[in-house]
Amino acid sequence: MENQTFYYDNKIVKNFAYATLFWGVVGMVVGLLLALQFIWPSLSFGIPYTTFGRIRPIHTNAIIFAFVGNGMFTGIYYSLQRLCKARMFNDLLSKINFWGWQLIIVSAALTFIFGITTGKEYAELEWPIDILVAVIWIVFGANMIGTIIKRRTSHIYVAIWFYIATFVTIAVLHVTNSLAIPVGLFKSYPIYAGVQDALVQWWYGHNAVAFFLTTPFLGLMYYFLPKAANRPIYSYKLSIVHFWALIFLYIWAGPHHLLYSALPNWAQSLGVVFSVMLIAPSWGGMVNGLLTLRGAWDRVREDPVLKFMVVAVTAYGMSTFEGPMMSTKTVNAISHFTDWTVGHAHIGALGWNGFLTFAVLYYLIPRIFQTQLFSKKMANLHFWIGTLGIIFYAVPLYWGAITQASMWKEFNEAGFLKYPNFLETVTQLKPMYAARAVGGALYITGIVLGIYNLVMTVKAGKFLPEEAASAPALVKTEAKRGSGEGIHRWLERRPVQFTIIALLVVLIGGLIEIVPLYLIKTNIPTIASVKPYTPLELQGRDIYVREGCYTCHSQQVRPFRSETERYGEYAKAGEYVYDHPFQWGSKRNGPDLSREGVVGGRQYRPNSWHFNHMENPQRLNEQSIMPVYKWLITDDLDISTTAKKIRVMQTLGVPYPAGYDQIANDELMIQARGIADDLRSQGIQVEPTKEIIAMIAYLQRLGKDVHAAGSPTAAITGK
Amino acid sequence: MLRDVFKSMGGYESYGMISMIIFVVFFVLLLLYTISLKKKDVENFSRMPLDDFSKESDEVQEI
Ligand code: HEC
Repeated sequence: MENQTFYYDNKIVKNFAYATLFWGVVGMVVGLLLALQFIWPSLSFGIPYTTFGRIRPIHTNAIIFAFVGNGMFTGIYYSLQRLCKARMFNDLLSKINFWGWQLIIVSAALTFIFGITTGKEYAELEWPIDILVAVIWIVFGANMIGTIIKRRTSHIYVAIWFYIATFVTIAVLHVTNSLAIPVGLFKSYPIYAGVQDALVQWWYGHNAVAFFLTTPFLGLMYYFLPKAANRPIYSYKLSIVHFWALIFLYIWAGPHHLLYSALPNWAQSLGVVFSVMLIAPSWGGMVNGLLTLRGAWDRVREDPVLKFMVVAVTAYGMSTFEGPMMSTKTVNAISHFTDWTVGHAHIGALGWNGFLTFAVLYYLIPRIFQTQLFSKKMANLHFWIGTLGIIFYAVPLYWGAITQASMWKEFNEAGFLKYPNFLETVTQLKPMYAARAVGGALYITGIVLGIYNLVMTVKAGKFLPEEAASAPALVKTEAKRGSGEGIHRWLERRPVQFTIIALLVVLIGGLIEIVPLYLIKTNIPTIASVKPYTPLELQGRDIYVREGCYTCHSQQVRPFRSETERYGEYAKAGEYVYDHPFQWGSKRNGPDLSREGVVGGRQYRPNSWHFNHMENPQRLNEQSIMPVYKWLITDDLDISTTAKKIRVMQTLGVPYPAGYDQIANDELMIQARGIADDLRSQGIQVEPTKEIIAMIAYLQRLGKDVHAAGSPTAAITGK
Repeated sequence: MLRDVFKSMGGYESYGMISMIIFVVFFVLLLLYTISLKKKDVENFSRMPLDDFSKESDEVQEI
């Protein structure tokens, strides 16, 4: 068979590598700023664009989609070509993938700064950008599958299976979770409400972790680890089981984010069972990675690339053990809503994704620049500072989480909450928050060293944009299955069919989880006293979403005595039916707000209190870490959108009477004047047209309807 | 335990059972398939990352 000569495209790899480094620094510096805001809330600078709620989505999205995303593309574009013995399918598609992805990132950052967000964690992008994401993602997929089709190898190596699963699943998740009806160019309401929205969102959230942060990186592990260690993976059979078991199981486990919530019990239990089962394939993968290095540990001591990989794979093992533990109801009762979740996420992000990304960069940059790494010593130093950074980051957060959870749950002898003032439980954590910030700063220091090292490497080397390689052409195999050939052998030579099967496997799990919620109306018992929001409250709610209050506040009281004592009635599925989007939140840096408006309730505050609090939380509570929101007082509420908003809500099934959109603004003004009058009677002069009025209206509505139903606080489990 | 879970789904017990069957069948097939793989093939597959036929990459020393 005659050898064909062809060229690997290294330029696209280089571009993605540079973007990875750039966005990595941006995302992490924003993260550090957020960490510091917990110590000095004045670092929100009193302007909207830098408040916690707006820049937290920048941090999370930048790390996930910009840093890890570009890192993933770097590794895929490098390894896919080599595993297929072919150049990328189409250079133009590669370029569109690259520039399109950067455009998405820039638009994401800009829109978040201006408060343009859907209010759904890790899916905050508004609909025009969502569409762009879908388009670019398909470009990536087409380019990848095209490359696989024109490959010069017969078998498709397991790493590529992981890439394929990444492509199809993220496409499904992204589209399903982003379905929304636009109100304008920069605002939309998701088609789901309340419990359904929560379930779809966390089905997405959980599987974005699985198929954006895990599967592509496992693919990278299966290529770069054998490569760096110069020996094949420990067990290829294990990697096959790892692959299918992982993609099949992962998708069932989403509801573990919603334990003790208003989600039906069976769905919660399903989530727990499958989460625990997930340990098996995950650890299978970790063991496979680590055992590849058996007998080569002397090399690990020498080679920074392998060092980074060992810690990355170990961090993968740790977080995939911790995750299932946090999915059990016992641990979840403590860990949920605390910084435990944040610690868990960072073991994954800093350890698994961050370290593997750097292993890949340290591996391939010297190669595509035909030189050696500038300084091995410096890479080792990066490794140690980074590892120390992870420990300093995570340990204080775990400590703080357990401290805070116990304080939330502690009762005194008289049977009252020992720390009824939520803020006390936050103030207690300040030293831990400081240590966490130090950890983050250390990690960034490591990254800066790494970048310096790579820049010097680039300077010393000579870039090889077109890397020549040669291989015999692939003999065209019969489209039909040869006799004696297993189905899988046939399948794994046919990328399109393989992709479809992988998609089916993923869909089965997804459907089994989601379908019942659509089928069973009784899953969401309606509560007669729950009514749609008034126009003013709806506008206020949209400001709540815009400012990202959900990044610190939950709206979801769990059925524990410690929570009903603190907040009031526990959450019912039926009370959220008009919430597009749901705003349950995932952590409590401030108290739960879902019972804020219950007159005579444990949390009730008069309008004037809210006014003063939003203007300056530190004036009321010196220790408060809540940012100031004084622009709400000076900015006019945009009521030009009210009618349209009402109409979209009607389309979504919210029972406003016909023609209500026409009179909505009149009603809005009546309610606004009422609140302004009340404030005036308390000595606060403010026009009824200001945003703060809508915000107060919304806060005063929270929890009212459920309490009007007069249901007693009963059926309380545990503490 | 699972049975109780399915019962609580309200008239959809069979849904749970079907899910369970799909689940078990999937894993049985997966294991059968993996066991049936030929040793020589598997060895070749696992060597794929190592021989990528690039002219340059072998000249580059390890870092
Ligand atoms: C950085 C985290 C953070 C963000 C973001 C945040 N808060 Fe807070 N919030 C807190 C903390 C901490 C407290 C408790 C101390 C206090 O009362 O200031 C609190 C308290 C409150 C309270 C009083 C609750 C009670 O019953 O004591 C309300 C109401 C409130 N926040 C509303 C909001 C709204 C509305 C937003 C968005 C515009 C918001 N918060 C954004 C941290 C935050």
